[in-house]
Amino acid sequence: MFKGSCLCGDVTFEVDGPLRGKSSACHCTQCRKQSGHHWASANVASDGLHVTGEVTWYEASSVAKRGFCARCGSFLFWTAHDEDQISFSLGCIDGPTGIKLDRHIFTADKGDYYDISDGLPQS
Amino acid sequence: MVKGSCLCGAVAFTIDGPMRDVLGCHCGQCRKQTGHFWAATSVQDDALQFERQDGLSWFDASGTARRGFCKLCGSTLFWKPAGQARTVVSAGSLEPGTGLRLSQHVFVKNKGDYYQIADGLPQHMEFSGVENV
Repeated sequence: MFKGSCLCGDVTFEVDGPLRGKSSACHCTQCRKQSGHHWASANVASDGLHVTGEVTWYEASSVAKRGFCARCGSFLFWTAHDEDQISFSLGCIDGPTGIKLDRHIFTADKGDYYDISDGLPQS
Repeated sequence: MVKGSCLCGAVAFTIDGPMRDVLGCHCGQCRKQTGHFWAATSVQDDALQFERQDGLSWFDASGTARRGFCKLCGSTLFWKPAGQARTVVSAGSLEPGTGLRLSQHVFVKNKGDYYQIADGLPQHMEFSGVENV
């Protein structure tokens, strides 16, 4: 069980279910624009995420939507339309997570102002 | 001249002036807002010109600074310290080719437990002392 929130606290959430797949740092252009650097997330089944408060969704492409708090601008969620799971921001989890990032993805789109040097797999 | 924007384009700007090296900020506020940690440069206010700002919204998280973001797409964009004529700007919002480099990490006392900082750059528990540029 993980608990998280946006910066202002208008949106809170609980993750109640096993994590799915890999925890990833995403360097795609969309995540870089929205996060301001790059984005770190883990995944859970859609019915394992319980959200309180108003999430605003933005569709940057036809395949997925991005959830954020419109009051404080916190980037919270990402979900693909054809999947029954959701990715949640690791930075929004309260307290220790016990999670370790598994990989970096979309590194072909990474910014030119930083290096990835933690030794994790890159794709 | 450097160009930047949010994800949806409702905030777009140019920077024409010196830009500070990029700092990685691991404070709790930056981690909540960005979803991971934040990387940003700093510019003088008169170097920052807006082409669009209809999406721009500000959140006052601390009383000492405001955080600027796009209310339409949720992009983290700016951090504006009260009483200073400078604006901190997301490195991720800028078009490539700025020549900027991430140079230091600050507020690592608040970093998340799920990642390592392994780039060999200086790490500061709180401020580095070079912020106010």
